[in-house]
Amino acid sequence: MVARSDTVVPMPPNGFPWPIETARLDNGLRVVVSEDRTAPVVAVNLWYDVGSRHEPDGQTGFAHLFEHLMFEGSVHVPKTEHMRLIQGSGGSLNATTNPDRTNYFETVPAEHLELALWLEADRMGGLVPALTQETLDNQREVVKNERRQRYENVPYGDAWLRLLPLLYPPGHPYHHATIGSMADLNAAALETFQAFHSTYYAPNNAVLSVVGDATAADVFALADKYFGGLAPRADIPPAPDGTRPAPVTAAVRETVTADVPAPRIYLAHRTYPFGSREYDAVTVLATALGNGRGSRLYQRLADGARLAQPDYVSAYGVDLAHAPAPLIVSATARDGIDAAALEAGLVEVVDELAAGITADELDRAKALLATAWWRQVSTVAGRADSLSRYATQFGDPARAGERLPAWQAVTLDEVTAVATEALRPETRVTLTYLPEDSRLPEESA
Amino acid sequence: MTLISERPGPGAARPYRFPEVIRRDGIVAAHLPGQALAVAVLLLDAGAGREPDGREGVGAVVAKALEEGTAARDSAAYALALEGLGAELFTTVDWDSFRIGVQAPAERLPDAVALLAEAVRTPRLDPADVARVRDDEVTALRMDWAEPGPRADAALRADLFGADQRHGRPLHGDPESVAAVSVDDVVDFHRGWLGQPGTLLVAGDLDRVDIDALGAAVFAGTGAPVADAGGPLPVKTRSGRQIILVDRPGSVQSTLRLGHVAPHRSHPDYVPMALAATVLGGAFTSRLNHLIREVRGYTYGIRSEFGQSRRFGRFVVSSAVQTAVTAPALVDTVGEIARTQADGVTEEELAVARSWRAGQLSVELQTSGAIAGALATLVVHGLPDDYHATLRAALLAADVDTVSQAAADHLHAGALTLVVEGDAEKIHAELAAADLGPVLTTTFPPTS
Repeated sequence: MVARSDTVVPMPPNGFPWPIETARLDNGLRVVVSEDRTAPVVAVNLWYDVGSRHEPDGQTGFAHLFEHLMFEGSVHVPKTEHMRLIQGSGGSLNATTNPDRTNYFETVPAEHLELALWLEADRMGGLVPALTQETLDNQREVVKNERRQRYENVPYGDAWLRLLPLLYPPGHPYHHATIGSMADLNAAALETFQAFHSTYYAPNNAVLSVVGDATAADVFALADKYFGGLAPRADIPPAPDGTRPAPVTAAVRETVTADVPAPRIYLAHRTYPFGSREYDAVTVLATALGNGRGSRLYQRLADGARLAQPDYVSAYGVDLAHAPAPLIVSATARDGIDAAALEAGLVEVVDELAAGITADELDRAKALLATAWWRQVSTVAGRADSLSRYATQFGDPARAGERLPAWQAVTLDEVTAVATEALRPETRVTLTYLPEDSRLPEESA
Repeated sequence: MTLISERPGPGAARPYRFPEVIRRDGIVAAHLPGQALAVAVLLLDAGAGREPDGREGVGAVVAKALEEGTAARDSAAYALALEGLGAELFTTVDWDSFRIGVQAPAERLPDAVALLAEAVRTPRLDPADVARVRDDEVTALRMDWAEPGPRADAALRADLFGADQRHGRPLHGDPESVAAVSVDDVVDFHRGWLGQPGTLLVAGDLDRVDIDALGAAVFAGTGAPVADAGGPLPVKTRSGRQIILVDRPGSVQSTLRLGHVAPHRSHPDYVPMALAATVLGGAFTSRLNHLIREVRGYTYGIRSEFGQSRRFGRFVVSSAVQTAVTAPALVDTVGEIARTQADGVTEEELAVARSWRAGQLSVELQTSGAIAGALATLVVHGLPDDYHATLRAALLAADVDTVSQAAADHLHAGALTLVVEGDAEKIHAELAAADLGPVLTTTFPPTS
C-alpha cells in the first residue's frame, strides 16, 4: 500500500544547492560560475538581453535570423568552423531566441572550456567583419524553411503566431512572434544586421555562465583573457516598455478553418510577468489545471465528459518577464464532438477556477513542479541557463534558488486570487480551429 | 576591439567514468551520489516485435490502459496518488522492449515504484475503459498521421522490410491496426507478456534508495521469463533505386525519408558504421547538412543514421525541403551517399566524428534518466558492465580505413528507397525526370 500524504518530504529552502560565484569584468560582462565536479564536462551559456521584443515594425524575425548568423563565422573563425570545433571536441551546442532574449550555449568535455570561451568571445566582439551577403542570403533561406517546417506545414502550427497579436496590441513588444514574417525576412538587408550586432552584442548587455568541472578562479581569469578586451557600449537602446499594456476591454475571438484533423480550442489570457509572486501562483494554477492525468482538464474533459482527446489537453504559462505573460489553455475535440461543445466544456472548467482549487490539487501541482524543477537543474546546461536567466532578468543569479520554494509557498488563496483576476471571461482570447471539411453537426441546431 | 586571435588548444583530458553497475536478482542499478531525482524502469521483453499480426499498436494501448485503475483503486485515485509524489508513469514500446518507469525525488521513489508495480501487475482492464483507451489511441494516431512524416516512414518501412513482416509495419501501428485491437487482444497481451519478471533498472542516489525493496515490489508474484525472440534476420537490399511519392496536396515542403536495410545493433561493425553515418549526416558539420542546409539553403536540417535493434536495422536519411527544390535536394543527397560509399571518409572529418561521438558519451550521461537509458542498452543487447568505457575507446581508435570500409560495405546508394511526402501535382514531373529511379505515386497507406 502506498499512502500519499504521510510521506511528505521537506522541501529544501533553496532550489539551487550548488555554489555560485560571480564577477563583473571592467567592460560590464557579468560572469557566473557554479563548480560541480560530478562529471568531466562544463556548460557555457550566454544570455544576450535582446529578443524579438526589440524589433521595430518591418523587422520582425531579425533577432532570430541574427542568431543563425552567429554560427557562420567571425574574424578568427572561418565559416562553419564554430560548429566543427565544438562538435569536434565532443560538445553539444545550440542557441534559441524568444521575445525576451537570445541565448547561446554549449556543453563540452571540461578540457575544451577555453576553446568554447574563445569562440564565444570571437563572435561577441568580431562578428561584423565576417558577415557577408552570401551568408545572410543562405541563412535567410534556412530560417524560411524553419518557418515552413515548424509553423506552416503542421496542423495548428500557426496557433502561437495567431495568439500573440490577439493578446498584445500593435506596438507592444510581444505583439509579433519571434519567427517573424516572410515579407520582413525577405527584405532583410546586410547593413541592418551589422548594426544589430554593434547595438546589442556588447559585453555589458550579456551574462556568461559556466557550470561544471571548472573552478571559479580559472573561469574568471579565462573570461578576462578572452572577453576583457571587448569595448562596452554606453547607449544600448531599450525595447519599448510593455510592462503596462492597455487594459483588455473586450473578449476577442478568431476562428480558423484549416487542414486540421479535429476541432481545437485555445483560451489565452495575459497574466503577470514571470518572476512575480502572482506569476508563481499562475504556474501552480496552470499545473493544477492542465498537467497530468490528475489535472482538472484531464479529469473533467478527457476522462469525465469525454469531450477532449486525452493526449491533447494542456495549460501552461509562457515564462516571459517583460510584460504580463500569457497563460494558454487548449483542448482538442474527441471524435463526434463539435467545437461549440468542446468550447463550452473548456470554458466551464476554466471559469470554475475562480472558486479555487482543493488542497489535494495544490499539493499535486507542487509535487509535479518540484520534479520538473529538479529535472531542469539535473544537467550542467540546465543549471547554466537558469543562472544566466536570473542574472539577466533579476540582477542576481542566486535568485534561481528562489523559484522552487516560491512555488512551494503558493497558497490556495493566492491561486484563487490570480484565477479570479487573470482569467476573467471579458479578457479572454479564444482561438478556434475547424477542419476544412467540417459540416454542421446534425445533433446541434 | 581586442580579440585573442590564436585558438587555444585543449587542456588535460579528464577521464569519464561510467558509474559502477550493480547487478543482482533481476535488478541492474547505478549509484549517482547527490542526484535529487531517481529513476526506476521496469524493462520487459514485450516490444513491438511481440505484437500479433494485424494488431500493431496493441502494446501502446496496453501501456495506456495500465493507468485506467488497478485492483486497489480507480483511475482518478491512481493519478492523484502517483502525481502527489511528483511522479508520472512513462511508458515506451520499441522493437525490443516494453518499458514503464517513474522519476521522482529519491525519497519518494519507493512509493512511486510500488504504484508502478500495482499498475503493471494488477491493472483493472475494465472492458469499457479498454475500449475507450483504444478509441482514443486511434484518434491520437490519426492526429499524428495528419502531420508530415509518419506516412513517409510507413511507406519506407514497408518497402524495406515488406508489409508482411512486423518490422515492415509502423512501430506503433497505424489507425487501422489499432482500431482492430479488441478488449481481448489487450487482456491477452497483458497476460502473455506483462507477467514476466523483467529487469528493474534503477539510477539514482542509492544511499537514499533501498533497491532490494524496489525489487521485492515489482517481482512479487511474477511468472516465468519469456523465450528469446530469435537471432538477427538476414539483410536483403533491393536491386535498384525506387522513388515512392506519397501525395500530400498543398504541402509547402517535401518530407524526405531515404533508406535501405542494414545490420542489427550488435553487429561487429557497429562502431565504424556509426562513425560513417556521423560523417555523412549525423552531426551539424556533416556532409549532408553542410551541402543541403549551409550551402544550398534547401532545408532547416537533414540527418542520417543507422537505426538498429536486436534483430534488424536500417540506414535512413530524414529531412524536409522546400517543395520547389525537391528534385535537386534528392540528387544532392543521393550524390553524397554515393560519394561516401565509394570514396570513404577523410581523416579531418573522421577526427570530428570520433571526438564528437566519444565526447557525447560524457556530455549526455549526466542525469539519472540518461543513466537508466544506458543501463537498458546493456540489458537489451546483452552488453558487459564496462561497455560504455569500451565503446568510448573503440570510437576514439577507429581509423579512416576501417570507417571507409564500413561505408563501402553498409551504404548502398544504388539500392535506396526514396520516399517523398509532398504535393505530387507540383513535383511528380520533376522527380520522374531526375533519373534517380522509377516513381511510384501512392496515398500510402490507402485511405479508407
